[in-house]
Amino acid sequence: MIARSFSIPRTMVVAITVLVIFMPIGLIFWQSLLNAPFFNPAHRYGLDSYAFIFEDGDFWSAFGNSVVIAAGMVLIALPLGAALAFLLTRTDLPAQRWVEVLVLIPVFVSPMVLAFGYVVAMGPVGFYSLWAKSLFGDVPWNIYSLASIAVIAGLTHVPHVYLYSSAALKSLGSDVEEAARVAGANPLQVAWNVSLPMTMPALFYAAVLVFFLGFELFGLPLVLGDPEGHLVLSTYLFKLTNKLGTPSYHLMAAVAVCIVAVTFPLVLLQRWLLRTAGKYVSVKGKATRQKLLPLGGWRWVALAIVALWLVFTIVVPISGIALRAFVEQWGEGVKLSEVLTLDNFREVFDQADQVRAIINTLLIGVVGGALAVACYTAIGLAGHRQRGGVAKILDYIVLIPRAIPGLLAGLAFLWIFLFVPGLKELRNSIFSIWLAYTVVWLAYGMRLISSALLQIGPELEESARTAGASSRRVLTDVTVPLIRFGLLASWLLVFMIFEREYSTGVYLLGQGTEVIGSMLVSLWGGGAIDQVAALSLINIALVAVGLAAALRFGVRLHE
Amino acid sequence: MNKPQSKQQLVVEDLHLAYGSNRILQGVSMTLNPGEVVALLGASGSGKTTLLRSVAGLEQPNEGRIAIGGTVLYDSSAGVDLPVEKRNLGLVFQSYALWPHRSVFENVAYGLRLRGTNAAEIDKRVSEALSNLGLGALAKRLPHQLSGGQQQRVAIARALVYNPPVVLMDEPLSNLDAKLREEARAWLRELIVRLNLSALVVTHDQTEAMAMADRILLLNSGRIEQQGTPEEMYSRPQTRFTAEFMGSNNHLPGRVAQLVDGRAMLEGEGWRLWGAARGALRVGADATGVIRLERTRIANGSGENRLRTALVTGMFLGDRKENLFELGALRLRCYGDVRTSDDGCYLELPADDLWIFPTEVSHGNT
Repeated sequence: MIARSFSIPRTMVVAITVLVIFMPIGLIFWQSLLNAPFFNPAHRYGLDSYAFIFEDGDFWSAFGNSVVIAAGMVLIALPLGAALAFLLTRTDLPAQRWVEVLVLIPVFVSPMVLAFGYVVAMGPVGFYSLWAKSLFGDVPWNIYSLASIAVIAGLTHVPHVYLYSSAALKSLGSDVEEAARVAGANPLQVAWNVSLPMTMPALFYAAVLVFFLGFELFGLPLVLGDPEGHLVLSTYLFKLTNKLGTPSYHLMAAVAVCIVAVTFPLVLLQRWLLRTAGKYVSVKGKATRQKLLPLGGWRWVALAIVALWLVFTIVVPISGIALRAFVEQWGEGVKLSEVLTLDNFREVFDQADQVRAIINTLLIGVVGGALAVACYTAIGLAGHRQRGGVAKILDYIVLIPRAIPGLLAGLAFLWIFLFVPGLKELRNSIFSIWLAYTVVWLAYGMRLISSALLQIGPELEESARTAGASSRRVLTDVTVPLIRFGLLASWLLVFMIFEREYSTGVYLLGQGTEVIGSMLVSLWGGGAIDQVAALSLINIALVAVGLAAALRFGVRLHE
Repeated sequence: MNKPQSKQQLVVEDLHLAYGSNRILQGVSMTLNPGEVVALLGASGSGKTTLLRSVAGLEQPNEGRIAIGGTVLYDSSAGVDLPVEKRNLGLVFQSYALWPHRSVFENVAYGLRLRGTNAAEIDKRVSEALSNLGLGALAKRLPHQLSGGQQQRVAIARALVYNPPVVLMDEPLSNLDAKLREEARAWLRELIVRLNLSALVVTHDQTEAMAMADRILLLNSGRIEQQGTPEEMYSRPQTRFTAEFMGSNNHLPGRVAQLVDGRAMLEGEGWRLWGAARGALRVGADATGVIRLERTRIANGSGENRLRTALVTGMFLGDRKENLFELGALRLRCYGDVRTSDDGCYLELPADDLWIFPTEVSHGNT
């Protein structure tokens, strides 16, 4: 299709996209170059804020901790995720269907909720800790150490590695593996000499992704790092808010720029890796039915290991939350049967702001999710079948929000709503949260939309053009109807992501903009454990509804 | 490449294979003698690839026996099922299945490495195999840097380098362009003869099968329909299916009027012809005359077993002309220059070349 030079709707879409992406990031950069908050008339240009944080020992220890945790996560998640993918795609592991579903749960549960779950389950006086103490006389673990944070973060990020490596293994033609068998290689040699090297690009991609996610980690270190004072970059940034007594926006912006300086190259690297990963796929052959590798007696050992991992990453934290939500207090010497109560929920429903948070969270998932998918679709269509510069630019700029952790994006949007004339009224409406969420998850949403768009053969659209339809008619009559199911699936996925989101809303939290995620951060800071437990359980339930619907309708849970 | 020393016979006995209720192989038996090339021919779904993969050990038969020389690869009654890697066979995949992360040299060397061959020997044998296949200069390339024809030759070198007693080839030419395919066919036949290989080749193209094989096994719904030399298969088909599969034919639906020692007279609207009786024919029953296009001749006047037809159109094919004639509802094609006279064109269908099959079972393919 020849790109016409100008089209009003497309230009509008591109202009708005550029605006909502570059406004916040531009604001952060500009603010980082000032020596005081930008609304302070006394501000001057300079590198004072960078000088301040570079002289702060906490900044460097937070930076070091971030690197250690991210690297630790890669070391833990990569081998486990790859092994899990191999077990589930290539062997006769029992209960595969169940495991395949359960594996994805940690992806969709809010890390804030998970972290809280670990505290109430395995913290010094957690349910499982006291149980272990009664067995061994002591609690044999300490979940507040840096190593524990890395281990927990690593184990909860196994699904990310699993998703990419299993996709690579599934797309790997079975013929190349059969060819090795025929040449005389046993199944282990095939795995080592053929399957592993050929999935290497995907594994490398997953490693970069996990490192990147580790660098962005907020909820887990916020909750688990606090007792022993372990800071990571995002929590350091969060603590800076009140460090100097007055809003220290310039310092926060400087830290933000430092974080983006690490994450943005990682995003570009991921994109490049994804491109090169296709290299091997192009040579794939005919897909024949795959003969599964019989594990024999080892299948039960393998299943036990997988089950152990599932217990640690899903059952322990979630059961902890579920229990904690129904007790009035918990500690040493407390009998479970004596403290059971529904008061925690009553309390939640008595507080107007918490009820609003639940309603807002539902609204932002259902209505906001639909609107976000509509926006992503508009952007996707603006670049669809366009070969010009606009499509290329769109392709890259939608990646930018990926590099900005939600916490920062929320902060930037707060500034925009506070200081751009005419937007002040919207600051206290759920719209501000929706906009921030939509921009933060832009790259994710665009991947969903473009994978739906990729399913459409160009000849379907070309034949409509030939039959006499204008390019706009082609979009409404052919393209959009064809991606209908893809759009519904995207809506469901975006719903779950929006239910789970917590960090983006933290700075935007105010009267009218409460959502469960940011409410949890705030309540946790105030020590309201009972309500955190109850709200967490409600949050899990909302995500579970989405997950059940997704499974019911056969939605692929990853792009 | 060293010539394989001890060649052994491949024997498949009464092989059955089913996926659930879908019976893919229903009792196939065959042999492949040392130094022989056998083509497994059939339409898609006939079971030819499944048979090949069963020999390789990539499919799990339900019943039967497969052996090479004294080695039993599979025997349902004895409970033997040798793993794929222990069968020591060479298999050329339809997609070639080259390992994209290994160079040409490493692709070919892999089988030898697995057999613990020492480095010097590997070097020698791989170079020999590559130069045998005209790939000497490409050893360091990666598969995606090769053309389709070169990839195919690497796949063949990889399957031959460790001297397997039998080489299996799954549609080895189907991924090549039509033009290239004819050259590769001649080249592959030459290679097989020169290296004295025993090969089992799967193909759906009868010309390919005839060109490459010493013997053809025609499969139909998991059974062997007919087997024989290419000449037998083409010129003396026992069934309508074989007749249809092996060449291009004219069809003359009619009724059997007479049966006289091995000959049948076929009668249609306004015509009657003598032909060779095939299958169970009855006087008065429906039957179909089948004759190869090139056996249908343009005659210069009326006579025995000739039909008077009208020319519909002619098509120039380069090396010859194809003409379409009609006689009532009949449409007949034939090659050659047309000499038209006032009373139409005469076509001769020699009685020896016109096979008359009962009409009931028609699973014609062409």
